[in-house]
Amino acid sequence: MTQTLLTSSPRVIEQIDWKGRAVSILPLAVLVVLVLIVTSQQPNFVGIASVRGLLESMAPILLLALGQMFVILTGGIDLSFAVTASFGTVLLALWIPELGALGVLAMLATTTLIGLINGFVIAKAQIPSFIATLGALGLYSGLGLAISGASTIRISTGYEAIGWITDLRVAQLPLSALLVIVVAIVISVAMRVLASGKSFHAIGLAEKALLMSGGSTVRIRILAFTLCGLFSGLAGVMLAASQRSGGPTLADSLQLPAIAAVVIGGTAITGGVGGAIKTLIGALIIVMLRVGLSAVGVDPSFEQIVYGVVIIAAVVLTIDRSRIGVVK
Amino acid sequence: MTSSPPSLGASVSVSPGVRIKRMLLGGGPLVVLLLLLIFFTFASDTFANPGNISVLLTQLSILLVLGVGLTFVILLGSIDLSAEGVMASSSLVFVLLATNDRNDFQFGILAALAGVLTGSLFGLVNGILHVRLGIPSFMVTLGMGAVGIGIATVLFGGRAPQLLDQGLRSLGVDKVFGVSKLVFLAALVLVIAVLIQRYTRVGRYGYVIGGDEPIARLSGINIKKYKIYSFVLSGTGSGLAGVMAATQLGVGDPTIGLGFLFPAITAVVLGGTLLIGGRGGVLRTLVGAAIITVLANGLILIGVSIYIQTAVQGLVIVIAVVASGWSLRRRVRVIK
Repeated sequence: MTQTLLTSSPRVIEQIDWKGRAVSILPLAVLVVLVLIVTSQQPNFVGIASVRGLLESMAPILLLALGQMFVILTGGIDLSFAVTASFGTVLLALWIPELGALGVLAMLATTTLIGLINGFVIAKAQIPSFIATLGALGLYSGLGLAISGASTIRISTGYEAIGWITDLRVAQLPLSALLVIVVAIVISVAMRVLASGKSFHAIGLAEKALLMSGGSTVRIRILAFTLCGLFSGLAGVMLAASQRSGGPTLADSLQLPAIAAVVIGGTAITGGVGGAIKTLIGALIIVMLRVGLSAVGVDPSFEQIVYGVVIIAAVVLTIDRSRIGVVK
Repeated sequence: MTSSPPSLGASVSVSPGVRIKRMLLGGGPLVVLLLLLIFFTFASDTFANPGNISVLLTQLSILLVLGVGLTFVILLGSIDLSAEGVMASSSLVFVLLATNDRNDFQFGILAALAGVLTGSLFGLVNGILHVRLGIPSFMVTLGMGAVGIGIATVLFGGRAPQLLDQGLRSLGVDKVFGVSKLVFLAALVLVIAVLIQRYTRVGRYGYVIGGDEPIARLSGINIKKYKIYSFVLSGTGSGLAGVMAATQLGVGDPTIGLGFLFPAITAVVLGGTLLIGGRGGVLRTLVGAAIITVLANGLILIGVSIYIQTAVQGLVIVIAVVASGWSLRRRVRVIK
């Protein structure tokens, strides 16, 4: 599908290629600079303990970001993904004492279903994704608060089912975080190798052409939101394991960092450009940014400002203005 | 394609989507409000007490100011998600410049003005970033909302500054004719907003731009300018809402706006302003905000969790936008 699209307009390829090259080098450069700054300030940063801390805080952000990446690649956004993860931790805390590992699966199925419903409503009713998922954000944050009584629920019985996530280590590094990185690499490879791997990109790049040539975008769009729901659930499992509890707002603060990770990595908010490795680099930048800020002596209360500015700056750099007519 | 465009009015076959839409846009919200008022009057002994009505109006005032500002942006088909961050910043700027227990500033009413203008400034930046750089509005305002919370956190410095200016404090606490002074302020804002909407270019062009932007551009309207103005109006509303909340609570706080954005958007949508732009108005938002306030107050009185209300508001947003766009669904078009 993409092949025919690209060969029909060679001029577009050149532009995208140029842009692609620029934005794929920039994030990596930023990451390297950040690491250099931090190591120069704190020489013991390269030690195993801080790398472990870094990986542990990166894992849930990366999972959320990977899910969001599918949606952003199609040109949409899911504003409800962090709330879905929070909602998931509450469900997990309620279900795991009785159902054990089955509770984990049931929770993942639920968040996946949430994503599926989002995608279904957006694709079938043809409404802008940010509005639909804004509504979903309210829905699931309200439900999460209501069923948990707005309080954190500790997980004690049945914690074994998720305990391994924080306990298992490989070369003193958390296995779960390494697994997430492997997942990112697998997604990246799959998108390159599989015949339908570029479907998300195709919707983001030239949805109109796809529609005019008789193709359907409904299935892929729903798939993108469904995957986003699944990954939100996985992020929820990881958070619940590290906090030993479920909370109705546990993952909410990760919304901005996770979206930032996607766009900083070089995935354009207009869709069609980006990938899992870029998102991995973006997530690394986000966690390094936090460490880096405190290393150079910036007050932690500036963190939110930095996220806000960085998100806008990254969008400005990656957005492709030639492909959007009316910006709402 | 299968159904006629809604603007043509009376069509022979009316699809359910169009009917729901007409209900939403017509007198529907007002009827809902009246039914709710009647229901709660009978369902709860305390609902119709003068004391509770005074509480209702006070609760309505901040939501209304926020919603009225938002209406101008939503009319464009854009959105402003920065309200909570803007309220946080403006409340702190206001309290720190008025008589407070942190520093020696005593700017009085000028401090309140500075708080409101902080909001306007946020709106201006939102508008410029959105229009000049072509970033979708939800993205800009999501980022700027975080910046607002961040600035507030920096100003906050770990302990909430108390507002000690008695005159300004009385604005949020004291009552005239049995209702809070904030209610009169909100009413004044509503009147000004109606005038802006009816008699200024920002207001009137807002409908044109929201209705069909390419046509607005072709007819020579300076779209960029009026879009930015609309965002300034929205930011100003959020700024004033932050100041009002600060006079009520007596402190400046980064979390002062938490939980306001969602009801405000729902109020605009419930009133009948289309999230896709082009239709609606600030008076509709008054009805929408009244519905939200009555529901919130009434449901608490009869013992329903407030969290369920957030969930219902979320559902309402989705249903409203699905219903209003239902007739356009069959067209081959690209919606992100």
